[in-house]
Amino acid sequence: MNLTLPRFFWSEYRKRRRRASLITFALFWGTLSILLLMAFGRGMTTQARVAFSGLGETLIMVSSGQTSVTFEGLPKGRTIRIYPEDVDFLRERIPEILRIAPESYNGWPVSANGKEINRTVHGTTPDFASMRTQIPRLGGRFLNAEDEREGRKLAFIGWKVAADLFGTEDPVGKSIVINRVPFTVVGVLQKKIQDSMYQGPDADQVYLPFLAFRQIDNQRYLDQLHIQPREAARSPLIESRVKTLLGRKYRFDPADRYAMSFWNTIEDYKQGEAIFKGIEIFLGIMGALTLLIGAVGVTNLMYAAAKERTKEIGIKLAIGARRRTIVGQFLLETLFVFAKGTFWGFVLAFDIVHLIRLAPLNYDSFGIEAYLLRPEFSLSTFLIYMTVLLVLCFLSGIFPALRASRANPIESLRYE
Amino acid sequence: MIELQGITKVYRTGSQSLEALRGVSIGIVRGEFVSIMGPSGSGKSTLMNIIGCLDTPTAGEYRLDGDKVAGLTFDELAAVRNRKIGFVFQNFNLLPYATAWENVELPMLFDGKSGKARRQRVTELLNAVGLYDWREHRPTELSGGQQQRIALARALANDPPILLADEPTGNLDSKSGEEIMAILTELWRGGRTIVMVTHNDHIAARSERTIRLFDGQVEA
Repeated sequence: MNLTLPRFFWSEYRKRRRRASLITFALFWGTLSILLLMAFGRGMTTQARVAFSGLGETLIMVSSGQTSVTFEGLPKGRTIRIYPEDVDFLRERIPEILRIAPESYNGWPVSANGKEINRTVHGTTPDFASMRTQIPRLGGRFLNAEDEREGRKLAFIGWKVAADLFGTEDPVGKSIVINRVPFTVVGVLQKKIQDSMYQGPDADQVYLPFLAFRQIDNQRYLDQLHIQPREAARSPLIESRVKTLLGRKYRFDPADRYAMSFWNTIEDYKQGEAIFKGIEIFLGIMGALTLLIGAVGVTNLMYAAAKERTKEIGIKLAIGARRRTIVGQFLLETLFVFAKGTFWGFVLAFDIVHLIRLAPLNYDSFGIEAYLLRPEFSLSTFLIYMTVLLVLCFLSGIFPALRASRANPIESLRYE
Repeated sequence: MIELQGITKVYRTGSQSLEALRGVSIGIVRGEFVSIMGPSGSGKSTLMNIIGCLDTPTAGEYRLDGDKVAGLTFDELAAVRNRKIGFVFQNFNLLPYATAWENVELPMLFDGKSGKARRQRVTELLNAVGLYDWREHRPTELSGGQQQRIALARALANDPPILLADEPTGNLDSKSGEEIMAILTELWRGGRTIVMVTHNDHIAARSERTIRLFDGQVEA
């Protein structure tokens, strides 16, 4: 590629570039705006996803209900409960289920180190960990199949429970007493963002192997059943099958919305994501409009430049410049103006995002700042920005360029 | 080399029209040095613009080197101007932001010549007009005579067979004017075809032949 003419145009542009300083600032500001707004929008969407997954991903939670219609001669108002045997019952009949875990809970005093606190204690199986994002801190683990099989007196505790009972001491391997029965701590929940919950945040909970829990609790039925589909798209189908199968087993109308309670987090997540996606797009559009103002400035600048350089254009046409050479020069100059303004906007946006991301998150009190403290750039952000930029650059330059190239050489030579 | 047959040029502004040239027919052979003279409004500049492919006639036929010019696109005409015609203007028309070197080099840039070829040619031309030491100076740092010599060097950049000079000494003192005419004479003796517009009889006398225009027509 012959770069001689572009180099010549660059040297011509450099002699004039001071005039473009205001426009350069507008482009810098526009670039900063669009990139920061898109980064914050993307960050909020990501944080919403992270916060939502604090409860668990692709989860259907089933709990007891009460019939609201009569069914097969049975009256309405009957309480429908789920039982431990329903876990295998459903697993065997619904191949779309990837994981299924029972959960029962009760409020009990939990004590250690001479301190006593009241917390909700849960009994569940190992699959619960991956379904409900129970990631243990380094040095510990969640409950496993052997713990469950042997009914071991082990406990997995939330980080706030650990802090309340043990302070800064590592509780793993230490003893806690739950409802007057001693258990050994096997792991502590790693800190996470969580904006959906039941019975309070997971940081405040205690988890026992299901068999061990049943040994200290009289309740026969389950409080929740957690189901994770193989594919999220199959969740409505799974919901329908659970209602049909349990309806047949416990004799309630599957169409009765109140017979069992279903919390389909997948559908909740889709709605939440749509909202945040909408916010992200809105912020991107606002940023693009700001950049557009800069681009309009560039267009004005290039039109003024074309007018001011009428004679120069006439001279070039007279000595043999093709129209495309004139168009090319103006487009290149537009690109130079854009490049200078937007480059520094890009650098500063990148630095600001990087600095903000260094701020620590408050896991104990998840507020609005957590959504704002994690702006992020993604490849798609960058590609969208570059596309918007190139389109604006081209549109800003092409019309003045075409106008300049269509100048009449004779009239241009006479222009003062 | 240059053949114009029945060239007419009419300028229209709204409902009014002005006939700048009326049926002008002239022929200029290769290697001729021709002056075009006439009072203001006689059509000299219009004729030069048509010969120089900066403008197109309303009627008539113009052949340059045997080829018809009518029907050429704007860019084809630009290519003709770039390679076959060198322009020297009364007010020099140099690019103010470019150095002397860059001004002379410009037609070669538009012709896509290599860096080496351009360096050689520009050095040769600047030496020929005695301004090699001024190559990094901008036009505003040069005298009128120096600027016109740079303009001449630029006109010769692509070694065109035809040189068109529109009042080349019009804005110069007599000494500088004489320098320019000496260069033009030398170029003519070297075989270049030169067409010059001038008001000055003494300048016109340096040419081989004078064509006089009056009211858009060639005087008999």
